[in-house]
Amino acid sequence: MNNKTAELYLSFAGIFHRPHPEIAEHLEELIELWRGEIPESKEQLVEIEDYCRKYPLVNDRLDTLWEHYIPLFETGDIEAIPYASVYFNDNGLVLGKEAEDVREFYLSCGYVIGNEKQELPDHLAVELEFLALLARDGKTQKLAEFERDHLRPFLRTILPLIIKSKRPVYSSAAKTLEIWQLNSDRKGDSIG
Amino acid sequence: MNRRQFLKYALYGAGGTAIGVSGLGALTKVAPKSAIATTNTEETTVFSACEMCRNQCPIAVKVVNGKVTKIEGNPNDSGFGGVICARGNSGPSLLYDPQRLKKPMIRTGERGTGKYKEVSWDEAYTYIADKLKVIQQDFGGESVAFASRKGPHDWFFRTIGKGIGSPNIFSHEATCPMTRSVALDSMFGVEAIAADYANAKYIVSFGRNWLEGIHIAQTRAIMKAIDNGAKLVVLDPRLSVTASKGEWIPIKGTTDLAFVMAMANIIITEERYDKDFVERYTSGFDQWKEAVKDKTPEWAENETGIPKETIIRITREFAEARPQAILDFGWRTGLTPNDFQLRRAIMIVNMMMGNFEVPGGYYRIKNASVTNRFPEMTGYAKALGAINQPAFPKPVTSRIDGTGIKGIPGQLIPEGDGAVGQIVESILTGQPYQIKAWMVHRFNPVISITESDRVIEALKKLDLLVVCDVYMTDTAMFADVILPECSYLERHEPVYDMSGLTPKYVLRQPAVELVYPDTKPSWQIYKELGEKMDLGKYFPFQNIENYISRQLTPAGLSLSQLKQKGVWTPEGMKPFYLRANDSQASLGNVISKVSQKIEFYSEEVQHATKQGVPQYKRHPQPEEGKFRFVQGKVAVHTNAGTVNVPVLNELMPENSLWINKASADNLGILDGDDIIISSGIYEHKGKAKVTEGIRPDTVFCYHGFGRISPELKRAFGKGINDNKLILNQIGEVGNVCTSMTMVTVKKA
Ligand code: SF4
Repeated sequence: MNNKTAELYLSFAGIFHRPHPEIAEHLEELIELWRGEIPESKEQLVEIEDYCRKYPLVNDRLDTLWEHYIPLFETGDIEAIPYASVYFNDNGLVLGKEAEDVREFYLSCGYVIGNEKQELPDHLAVELEFLALLARDGKTQKLAEFERDHLRPFLRTILPLIIKSKRPVYSSAAKTLEIWQLNSDRKGDSIG
Repeated sequence: MNRRQFLKYALYGAGGTAIGVSGLGALTKVAPKSAIATTNTEETTVFSACEMCRNQCPIAVKVVNGKVTKIEGNPNDSGFGGVICARGNSGPSLLYDPQRLKKPMIRTGERGTGKYKEVSWDEAYTYIADKLKVIQQDFGGESVAFASRKGPHDWFFRTIGKGIGSPNIFSHEATCPMTRSVALDSMFGVEAIAADYANAKYIVSFGRNWLEGIHIAQTRAIMKAIDNGAKLVVLDPRLSVTASKGEWIPIKGTTDLAFVMAMANIIITEERYDKDFVERYTSGFDQWKEAVKDKTPEWAENETGIPKETIIRITREFAEARPQAILDFGWRTGLTPNDFQLRRAIMIVNMMMGNFEVPGGYYRIKNASVTNRFPEMTGYAKALGAINQPAFPKPVTSRIDGTGIKGIPGQLIPEGDGAVGQIVESILTGQPYQIKAWMVHRFNPVISITESDRVIEALKKLDLLVVCDVYMTDTAMFADVILPECSYLERHEPVYDMSGLTPKYVLRQPAVELVYPDTKPSWQIYKELGEKMDLGKYFPFQNIENYISRQLTPAGLSLSQLKQKGVWTPEGMKPFYLRANDSQASLGNVISKVSQKIEFYSEEVQHATKQGVPQYKRHPQPEEGKFRFVQGKVAVHTNAGTVNVPVLNELMPENSLWINKASADNLGILDGDDIIISSGIYEHKGKAKVTEGIRPDTVFCYHGFGRISPELKRAFGKGINDNKLILNQIGEVGNVCTSMTMVTVKKA
């Protein structure tokens, strides 16, 4: 298993989780990783670099990330609802069958949503984080299965919404993730 | 940490069990399990109470594998017959709505720009506590106003206000049926009077619309009465669904009191009233007789636009049906500044019919403390226990709305309610003193208080606005701190008394675990905030189960007992009307006036308003080219509360302006046309609904639409917000006045 795959999944998970000081502080590291592994995303990486230069302080970065995260993912007129169930069920509500399916998948691989950091199982960031853990642990088959059955269909719906939002960092990161996934598709193999 | 080390450390550095950098990451390692357990279907029914509107109907929540799949009426409550309304059915769609509030938030941008960051509960509490402390030090506790939609959360929410010595604690009632409460209190000494619609033979409604402003038990009772052959007469400038089920009388707006006084005039002239009842149980009949002596049918025809023959016929039919005849006392916003006098006059005419404490009339609500006053009823039920609190600091000023001040109309305003519209006035004018902070719980002043633009202007002037809700409401958009409450399907609440003809207790209990784990029930929010503000002593209970047990123990009940059926009524106790078999039975135990009489003339009202009995006041009628603008409820929505709830939004996403066909023709307006409505001060765009079902001088829209918050994605900007146009006129007893605004309409 390629460690880079785990790092890549984790980097995207970190971006799409709720804004976090560690991520805000280490944005440059993510850019460096993506530049090395996803060179086609040059344009997007320049955008994120510009953002980093504009907001060198962690607190400023955090405030602006929140400013965009909340309307993009969190509450009210959400531009890109981060829960897969919402797109896969007719009624557009959370905790549908897809959420239950991925929760069961996590459990079958020995993972549950932690008590403290509770999040719905089909949150985009949680799915990406899960794949980082599978990649780290070398569970190639499970990883491919989860990508095929859960992540890819979800990304096909949500990434265009995030990209369309033109929200700094998030939109560029979504495009970068899309490019990476497309590349992987083209290679015709499962990532890793 | 160096570059590139962060991700590696996150992946490998925390013992390999989880992504462990500073809590980043959501997953935890456990032993792998196959998902066999979940292939077994676990199905339960949880008995609880609805909160899609304020009525709190008992419900049965079907839960399959930890998920709410369906909500029905609680079959254990015969009064509700296992039935709920469309709004009640839609509960799961609120519960699982991705647009709900999920975390506490603090504002980071200009008010109204929607720029927030999420914070921990502790940070949110600290922020509020610190701000309130400064405001309290600089301006006093009275400069902090509290307003909520009335409900079981109030004990906790209001404790914060009382704890800091604020007298300015308000419910939403002034935007709802507070005038009726004032009327009942002034006549009976108590608000707890209800109507037995099911057994009535003749029902006259003044704009009351049971089939759209739904209260399940009452709506069922009305339908039962109609099925049994009762006659329904509805006086309303608009043909409501209820009006379509009976005789529709398109009365001229704001003239209802003239109709009621003319009824009294006819009944007295023709000696159709219950003389024995009036003599035995009431006081002030002579003053009332004097007040209506010139309110003839001819006079009323001129005022109301209703032919005198119709007024006489309806009055005679009504009197014939006595005592199973009800002039409905209403349950809606005040129509005019003196709306409470209309409600008083309605109840006076009712009492002239002797329709009190008889089937098909009005009755005192029989909670445990009332039933235990009757030897033959003693022992069936005991009252709920109270949770005692230490004495609160005494407010150093009187309230901003004059509530409780003797000798002015404020004397009549119920202390627990107040005139909520006055908060806006005090913020904007500093009169009688400045309000600097506003705590809002499950209430949406921007849509619920008249003149939305002024409300927003006021919100922008505050030093602190805290909103606790389940959605990012139009008011939350302007808040400094937003606290996410969990939904009613995820929380316990204090047991509440829903007694009718017999005592009844209802429980709200969680059907499922929290969907969004960082939301909390209101009892916990205010207890924790109180503790942060050093007000912990006012919350003397460990948790809500403990609170509920202390309510139930004195009543001889337990939480586990209530959980089983969700509702408790005393076994074997029959509904009783004091005068059902004895028309001369004493009413001393149910009338709470010192005089022991039902007061047609009230010294208190005389003292407060110089009108001890209702007197007619003529309100302006629309000039040529103008329309009276009125509003009302729709069956699938609850006022300002539900228009963003997914299923309900699908049923009815927007409203339109009802305009009479002839009036529309004059203005060249066709059905569905875009229009502009203008109050002279404010303008609103909308769509026209051209209909014969409204008076030519009146236009109408359903309330609760035209939302201002872009965060209410499904409802934003759709339809007409009536309260943008209606002026913030505060009525005599603090009520909003929803029928006093005139508008012009033109094609857009
Ligand atoms: S009337 Fe409808 S919405 Fe209101 S509490 Fe009852 S079921 Fe719920």
